[in-house]
Amino acid sequence: MEGASAAAASSGCDYDEFQPQKKIPMVDAFSAPSTSNTNPSSEPSFVPSLEKEGNTIGFNDDSMQGVEKQMTPFVGGKHDIPMVMASGFEKPFVSDKEPLSALAAEFESGSPIIQEKIKLLGEKYTALRRTRGDGNCFYRSFMFSYLEHILVTENRAELDRVLVNIEQCRVDLFNLGYAEFTYEDFFGSFTELLEGCLPGTKASLSLTELLEKACDQITSNCVSCFSSPAVMFLRFVTSAAIQKRAEFFQPFVTAASRKSVVQFCKLCVEPMGEESDHVHITALCDALGVPIRVAYIDARASSNPANPNAPIIFDFFPYNQEEVQNNGSNCTDAANVSTDLSKQENPAPLVTLLYRPGHYDILYPL
Amino acid sequence: MQASRARLFKEYKEVQREKSADPDIQLVCDDSNIFKWTALIKGPSETPYEGGVFQLAFAIPEQYPLLPPQVRFLTKIFHPNVHFKTGEICLDILKNAWSPAWTLQSVCRAIIALMAHPEPDSPLNCDSGNLLRSGDVRGFQSMARMYTRLAAMPKKT
Repeated sequence: MEGASAAAASSGCDYDEFQPQKKIPMVDAFSAPSTSNTNPSSEPSFVPSLEKEGNTIGFNDDSMQGVEKQMTPFVGGKHDIPMVMASGFEKPFVSDKEPLSALAAEFESGSPIIQEKIKLLGEKYTALRRTRGDGNCFYRSFMFSYLEHILVTENRAELDRVLVNIEQCRVDLFNLGYAEFTYEDFFGSFTELLEGCLPGTKASLSLTELLEKACDQITSNCVSCFSSPAVMFLRFVTSAAIQKRAEFFQPFVTAASRKSVVQFCKLCVEPMGEESDHVHITALCDALGVPIRVAYIDARASSNPANPNAPIIFDFFPYNQEEVQNNGSNCTDAANVSTDLSKQENPAPLVTLLYRPGHYDILYPL
Repeated sequence: MQASRARLFKEYKEVQREKSADPDIQLVCDDSNIFKWTALIKGPSETPYEGGVFQLAFAIPEQYPLLPPQVRFLTKIFHPNVHFKTGEICLDILKNAWSPAWTLQSVCRAIIALMAHPEPDSPLNCDSGNLLRSGDVRGFQSMARMYTRLAAMPKKT
């Protein structure tokens, strides 16, 4: 524990009582440059000692003045970044595209079942793009894959379609009682980003730029930094979709976590770094109306006797199917849509992901 | 930086607008630095903190609201989840359960809820946690009440 630096001290629930000497000097990490980090004199004067407590603390303005003066020496404090995405990962958020053979090479000496599955995967997919395993990999993979799809296909119709869904999510969050200012910035930056994926505007991005920006660290503080805000946008959208159909999701949520839907969203969806599962994918797919395909690769033999080593493919189709099938048409007549529904084939996935237990990457079809 | 400033400004306006909505919380932004806030919260009723007024100091990181604010008690408090010397608070939403859906105001509410519902199984103040864990509710309450009187109440002369 000697080297228990900022990270350990901030991790909260460990027993700091046992090492009172190791208190980190209270330095204002926000307005002062980090060079002032060594100021042993600014001791952690938490509370004015009891004798000094003569000054009353009340709710009137005068006492507030006193309060602020008292606080000055120790407001601020060492700022440590407590979360997974902050530092210490060598991998970029989104990596360069690699041929599928790179994945095969990785498992050369691994499970023969996995090797076989990767081989079979190669019949349908050519490449993968890895994302960082920081708990946000599903959202980050989805985000990049979807934006790349818009950018490469220049699909204005799809963009217009998804914007309608995004608007609906905004309304849903509002109706669920979220304070508007908590999510509107994330929505704003994501729709801006979507627009940037189509050519012809000032903000238009190339694929290289998209990749560069997708790798922005939240610590880099740049204005146009979008990677983590975009992940957060998707988390808000997912949370809203789960709560909106709470009745549908409740049994799955309870089975997975023994939480109520609201608790689940607060603790397992909204916080950055919380991993995703079927519930999240289903909800995000519903909310944005984007069909998602996930290819599962693990060391278990599949139950399909004809082809025991085929990778398992899961398709997620939006619950709100008419949205997807309206793609490109102006059909908004609900009755019309519902009669058509049965005749429609399932939409092709716009986002394809590779799942290995605990992690999602992006997959590219032939 | 821009994003955090814009968000904090919105919170500031919201706090001004909702001033009377939550009489137990008075949240004030530093005059010259929007990344520093102070809150005064009233100890919840039917707890040993009742009648006390507790100061909290907020230090807000540039990556806010993607990262949580740092919040400490400035007023001494005897509570299992508050460090007795530093005022550090052990609360999930200030660590890994943080999300931008929280606000400075709702963090204050969460802290008030924590005061009313201590979690002695993850103590930052072991003495306080041990009293509760060993079932000595009375001992805990009298200690907590004593510190509330000493540190969080106006002195009677």
